[in-house]
Amino acid sequence: MSSDTYAPPLAPAYPPGGRSIFEADARYQVRRGVARLMAVLVGLAALGAVAVLWIILGYVIWRGLPAINWPFFTQRPLPYGEPGGGVGPAIAGSLVLLGVASTIGVPIGLGAGIYLSEFGRGRFADAVRFCGDLVAGLPSIVVGVFIWALLVRHVIGHFSGLAGAAALAIIMVPIIVRTVEAMLRLVPHTLREAALALGVPQWRVVLSVVLPSARAGIITGVVLALARAGGETAPLLLTTLGNMFFNWNLSQPTAALPIQIYNYAVAPYDDWHTKAWGASLVLIAVIGILSVLTRLATRGKKLA
Amino acid sequence: MEEQKKEQEVSLKHLDSNGRFAGTRRRWFGVIGGAAGAAALAACGADQTATPRTAPAPTSGAASTQAAAAIPGSGSIAGPYPGEAKQLTGAGATFPAALYSKWFTEYHRLTGVQVNYQSIGSGGGIKSISDKTVDFGATDGPMTNEQLSATKGGDIFHIPTALGAVVATYNIPEVPASTKLRLSPETLAAIFLGEITKWSDPKLKADNSGVNLPDKDIVVVHRSDGSGTTYIFTDYLSSVSPTWKEKVGFATSVNWPKGLGGKGNEGVAGEVKQNPYSIGYVELIYALQNKLGVAQIKNKDGQFVDPNLETVTEAAAGVASTIAPDLRASIVNAAGPESYPISGFTWILAYKNMAEEPKAIALSRMLWWATHDGQKFNGDLGYAPLPLEIIKRGEEKIKGILVNGKPAFPNK
Repeated sequence: MSSDTYAPPLAPAYPPGGRSIFEADARYQVRRGVARLMAVLVGLAALGAVAVLWIILGYVIWRGLPAINWPFFTQRPLPYGEPGGGVGPAIAGSLVLLGVASTIGVPIGLGAGIYLSEFGRGRFADAVRFCGDLVAGLPSIVVGVFIWALLVRHVIGHFSGLAGAAALAIIMVPIIVRTVEAMLRLVPHTLREAALALGVPQWRVVLSVVLPSARAGIITGVVLALARAGGETAPLLLTTLGNMFFNWNLSQPTAALPIQIYNYAVAPYDDWHTKAWGASLVLIAVIGILSVLTRLATRGKKLA
Repeated sequence: MEEQKKEQEVSLKHLDSNGRFAGTRRRWFGVIGGAAGAAALAACGADQTATPRTAPAPTSGAASTQAAAAIPGSGSIAGPYPGEAKQLTGAGATFPAALYSKWFTEYHRLTGVQVNYQSIGSGGGIKSISDKTVDFGATDGPMTNEQLSATKGGDIFHIPTALGAVVATYNIPEVPASTKLRLSPETLAAIFLGEITKWSDPKLKADNSGVNLPDKDIVVVHRSDGSGTTYIFTDYLSSVSPTWKEKVGFATSVNWPKGLGGKGNEGVAGEVKQNPYSIGYVELIYALQNKLGVAQIKNKDGQFVDPNLETVTEAAAGVASTIAPDLRASIVNAAGPESYPISGFTWILAYKNMAEEPKAIALSRMLWWATHDGQKFNGDLGYAPLPLEIIKRGEEKIKGILVNGKPAFPNK
């Protein structure tokens, strides 16, 4: 009942020992007041949540924009204290690392997600789901230490881009698994049943009916995983180490934007602080552009 | 088939109306929000800890120019060499990182070899070279015998690359920075032990006649984190004060009898700057950058000596003839009238026996260049160049780097 339609009853009733209608009206006013206050508070909370994003974004743009120029993207870092140079190796390194991490992580995550949603039944599926959630909750520094102990110290034997990509892939997989499973479960069962009724084998149902239906959600999951991996610093410090030079060789230490931001921000030089903000801005932009590109590339409806 | 397509569209709409990932804008929020948060937080947090915002002040270049012209063996590496690796990786001490980044930029220009140095701290450098996860390590405090016996690849060479001074820096409003406070080993140790608590202490006054020392309590500032600077400073105090040696000892981090902790050289410099009547210890360049008072320290010969590139070089020259064969030398409290007593080497750590020939050639050539031609960059960045005798001793090590039992260094 909205406030406009409320009117006191025409014939006021005075129950014995009861409250007057005016008193009841007053209580209604209080209730309405409280409701409005709450609505305003909840609205403010929503505004606050959104404002944080825009304040951070605005501040990073404000501090980072002065660093942005052409050499910033193409040149390598100069020695300590010399103004100029850029973060080219870090941008290239981040892109390479994310590319390799996706190559490892997306098929695994997608496959596991499909398994859980379409084929997995019983205890094993539950165990997979549970373990996936555990991995998702693993602090990224632990992933870094694990990869350092396994790949850096033993299998590969030295710091390398490949070890970093492996660490990022471990971080990406559970995010993709969760999203893919959730998205596939949203596809109506009637759709699967209709296809099966037409005599389509199950693998074909998954490939041609279920996956295309959930395409947008799956892509979102992959992009979210990329965004998370792109901003990770801790596992990279222990695995890719960082590099002052451009490096395209995965077996060598590689620069990455989060490492570069960290190194520049703690150094005692003003120029490097500006560059740290600039690199932060670039990192945000890189992930934004990646998500747009992914979306554009998979926009066509011919995905069958 | 057409119906199926319709069904698909319906199901897609269903997805959207379900509210999870409806609409591009909402998805963007998530993506950008996550990245912005991570990146901005990283940058914010770190921004506050970095204090000295001035560029390194070019210090007196006399020592650097004098040394650069004189080093025999300079100029022998003038370009790329066939068969050498094009990439080398090193990690370790933060103190020489500024110098190393300059060196390796110049070296890349000269030879095309990418020497990637990451400053992760002396401890990290020792760990990394021991694990062979890098091609070379770097440290300000020499490896212990225990550490040397626990390496993955056998013998490790300590090759000195530069010299640094740890200075006693103070903030006494009544005493301008231009008036150099004079400290003897005894008074310095007593201050950090908490035995001298007032600036007006008679022992301090005795060394500083004519300086208006106020009747104020001394605020002691030290490093809160493990560091090569602390190693050099406590090594010095241990060598001059039996009480210090017994009560505190020397290491990259010790149990301080008293005082405030500051993180990193910049943290200590900041604490001293903000606390009147305080005293702390930092690498020379941090005191100069922050325009803090720098004390003259009485050396072994009884002279009060300023810390600068010349007196540090002098301290190293004093021990050059007596230095241990493995070049793990402590040069604190060195003899010589001009020697600054709280000085130390910084080393590059390399394996004696290397397995990959291209890497061995590249590393030995880089080390040769750094300890010869590279020394001319030391002075401007606040590091003292190595004395000739030490460079000669380093040459033996560089030539001693073996690959498959044969010397790796190709020149001469």
